[in-house]
Amino acid sequence: MAAVAPGSGASREEEGTGGDAATPQPPAPTSAPGACLSRLPLARVKALVKADPDVTLAGQEAIFILARAVELFVETIAKDAYCCAQQGKRKTLQRRDLDNAIEAADEFAFLEGQQR
Amino acid sequence: MAERPEDLNLPNAVITRIIKEALPDGVNISKEARSAISRAASVFVLYATSCANNFAMKGKRKTLNASDVLSAMEEMEFQRFVTPLKEALEAYRREQKGKKEASEQKKKDKDKKTDSEEQDKSRDEDNDEDEERLEEEEHNEEEEVDN
Repeated sequence: MAAVAPGSGASREEEGTGGDAATPQPPAPTSAPGACLSRLPLARVKALVKADPDVTLAGQEAIFILARAVELFVETIAKDAYCCAQQGKRKTLQRRDLDNAIEAADEFAFLEGQQR
Repeated sequence: MAERPEDLNLPNAVITRIIKEALPDGVNISKEARSAISRAASVFVLYATSCANNFAMKGKRKTLNASDVLSAMEEMEFQRFVTPLKEALEAYRREQKGKKEASEQKKKDKDKKTDSEEQDKSRDEDNDEDEERLEEEEHNEEEEVDN
């Protein structure tokens, strides 16, 4: 008999119904240990990590920390972009707000040239 | 079909949720901006992986570990992430420890059950077939209740 953690099961259902992604998303693994602490599916993060040809192996902790770091990154860049939108007295974040936020911060320099 | 690393996007639903929770109520985000953030997140992972891998190679290790990622954050000028990440790591380790103990306990219970099953089987071989089936069904019912 397979034991399914009720918490992680509920969060996966929410993922499926929310959002309007063009491509059908594969079912996220419910066995992810950090499911309670990280919303991003660790399997996807791991796939990105393995895309690097120089990387041999990555520990589970490393994948989890990366997933959490990505969440923080998304929050940070969204907030910075929102500041730009506020200056334009808009309530909808546009692409140009994001570009401005990237140019304004040194740590986002690695993103320049990626958007176009 | 080879996929470029940039094509490996993180789920849009999750990205959208994180963005919305970071912003005040009533603020929206255009589809273009959202997909741009999603792509930026993928690039972030690739860049962080590359930095972390450098630290792992410096330590002559082939496996990326948590400290490599934390060092990469500092190098990428995301020092402000380090403290919350360390806290998250500790919480994660505690959870892992709890789960390990739980699974070990389950394993012990399982071993006890298999022992009792073997004893029943040797008894059934001596009895009639009908009686065997009845006993097995009862035993299965007991098992289900325990599970």
